[in-house]
Amino acid sequence: MRKRTILILDHVEIELMENILRVDESRSGSATIVSLSGRMDASSSPAAEAVLSRLIGAGERRIVVDMSDLDYISSAGLRVMLASLKRLREDGGQLLLAGLKPEIRNIFEIAGFQRIFSIYPSPEDAVSSFDARV
Amino acid sequence: MSMVEPMLPSLLSTSIVLFQMMCVIVVFAYLITRTRFFSEVLDGVFTWKNQLFLIVLFGILSIYGSESGISILGAPINVRDLGPVVGGLVAGPLVGVMSGLIGALYRLTMGGFTMVPCTIATILAGLIAGLVYIVAGKKFPGITVAVSLAVIIEGIHMGLVLLISRPLSQAVAVVSDVAFPMIVANAAGMFIFSFIIANLKKEKETRGERDLFHSELERKNAELQIAREIQTSFLPEKIPGIPGYSLAASSIPAREVGGDFYDIITAPAKKTGLIIADVSDKGVPAALFMALSRTVVRANAEWHSEAREAIQGANATISADSRSGMFVTLFFAVLDHESRRLTYVNAGHNPPLLFRTGSDPVPLQITGIALGALADADYEERSMDLCPGDVLLFYTDGVTEAIDDQYTQFGEERLVELVSQNINLPPADIIEKINSAVSVHSGGAAQFDDMTLMVLKVGTI
Repeated sequence: MRKRTILILDHVEIELMENILRVDESRSGSATIVSLSGRMDASSSPAAEAVLSRLIGAGERRIVVDMSDLDYISSAGLRVMLASLKRLREDGGQLLLAGLKPEIRNIFEIAGFQRIFSIYPSPEDAVSSFDARV
Repeated sequence: MSMVEPMLPSLLSTSIVLFQMMCVIVVFAYLITRTRFFSEVLDGVFTWKNQLFLIVLFGILSIYGSESGISILGAPINVRDLGPVVGGLVAGPLVGVMSGLIGALYRLTMGGFTMVPCTIATILAGLIAGLVYIVAGKKFPGITVAVSLAVIIEGIHMGLVLLISRPLSQAVAVVSDVAFPMIVANAAGMFIFSFIIANLKKEKETRGERDLFHSELERKNAELQIAREIQTSFLPEKIPGIPGYSLAASSIPAREVGGDFYDIITAPAKKTGLIIADVSDKGVPAALFMALSRTVVRANAEWHSEAREAIQGANATISADSRSGMFVTLFFAVLDHESRRLTYVNAGHNPPLLFRTGSDPVPLQITGIALGALADADYEERSMDLCPGDVLLFYTDGVTEAIDDQYTQFGEERLVELVSQNINLPPADIIEKINSAVSVHSGGAAQFDDMTLMVLKVGTI
C-alpha cells in the first residue's frame, strides 16, 4: 500500500517537472520568435526541441529564441539549442539568442557556446539585425 | 415444444414467454462471447476449431430458438433465425450458413405446413448475415445494422411463408398473427447479442491500449537499463593508485540515466591523465555518445603527447559524429607525479576547484568549447604547480544543480563550504560527505542529472 502511494507521488512529480517550461511562438517582421520561460532541463527540453524542429522543418530560416524569462538551462537544453543552430545553418538559416539572464549567459559561457551563438540583448535587437542583413 | 393452445395466446402470455427466451439468450450470449474461440474470431483469427465451435453453438441456439417458441397452428413464434444471424455477423457466411443448416434440419423434423419456408429462411438468414459481415469489411457491423438486419430477415421469413405455404389463407392467418411478435423477439435477441459484442470489442480496445502503454513502459525501462549498463561498463573498474597522491571518484546516475563519466589514464613516464565529462542529454543516445567520447579521448590522449593536441584531435572526431547537436563538456588534466605539475584543457566543463590552505578555492577556467559543438575549435592548454595538501575537486553540474522541491539548486557555494570544512578528510570521505549533503538537499525531489565527483589530494612524497 505504501509503495503504491510513493509511486503515485513520483508520477505527479514528473508531471510537474514536465510542465515547467513554456514555449510560445510569435512573428516579428521576417523572423519567428520562440519564447522560452521557466526551466529547460532534460525533462522539459523536448517541448522546445519539438517546436524548433517543426519550425525548421516547415522552412523557417530566421529564428530568434527569446530567453528573457528562462530561469535555468541544463546541458540537455544547450544540446537542443546547438542542434537547432546546426540544422538551421546547414539550410542557410540563422538562429539568434536574445535576452539571456546573467546566470543563463554564464552557462552558455562555461560551455564555450558564446563563440558559436549570436547573442542579443533583446528580441527586437535580434530581429533588427536580421533586417539589417537583407 | 409447447402444446397447441386452444385459443390464440394473449399478448401478455406471449410477452412472458418472450421474456423467458430473452433471459436464456442473455446467458447464452454472455457465455459464448467469453470463450477464447469467440475472442479469436472477433480479432479476425479464423481456425477450423473456432469456426466449428461457433457453428455448433449457434446451431444449438437455433435449435433452442425452435424449441422455446410457442406454437400457433403448427407455426411457432420463435427465435430460430437468431443463432445463424449472429454467427454470420461475427464470423462470416460459412458459420452463418452451417449453423443455419443445423437449425434448419431440426426444423424439418418438426413438420407443419410452414416447414419448407421456415427451413429455407433459417439457412438464408445465416447466408445474408454472412454477406453483411463481408460488406462491412469482415467485421461485426455494429448494433444498429445488426438489429435492422434481424428485422429484415424476419420480414423475409414471413414473405417466404406467404410465398410457399399453402393454403394461402392459412399462411396469411399465421403471418398476421406471428409477424409482429417474431420481429420483436428476434430484434430484441439481436440487440442483446450485439450489445454484449460491442462491449466486448470496446473492452478489447481498451485492453489493447493498456497493453501498448505497458509495453512502452517496459521498453523504456529496458532502455534505461541498457543505458546504465553501457555507462557503468565505461567507468574504470578500480582507481589506480598514484604514489604520493590519493584519488577517489564516484558517479551516481540519475533516474533518467545520462552520460557522465570519469576516467583515469595511466601514462608512461610517471604521468596520469584525469578526465571528468558530462554528455548533454539522457538515455541510450547519451550513453552511446559517452562511450564514443571516452574511447576517442582515450585514444587521442595516448597518441598525442600534449593535452591540447589530444583534445583538439578528439573534438574533430567527436564533432564529425555529432549530428543531433550532442556535445560533451570535458576536463582533461595530465598530472606529472614527481614535479606535481598539472597541465589541463577545459573543454566547456564547469571549472574544477583547487582548494589550497589559506586561500579561496581557485576555479580551473574553461580553455575551449565543449567537445562536439564546433569541429575546428581551438583549445588552449594551461599548467599549474600543485603543492602538498592541495585538494582538487572535479564535479559535474548534476552536483551543484541538484534541486529540492522548490527548485532551489544545491549550488556552488554550499559545495565549496562543505569541501572546505572537510578538507582534511581522505578524498573518498569528502565525496561521501558531498553525496550525502546533496541527497539531503534534494530530499525526495526527482533528479534529472547524474552526479559525478572526483577528488585528488596531494600528499607529501
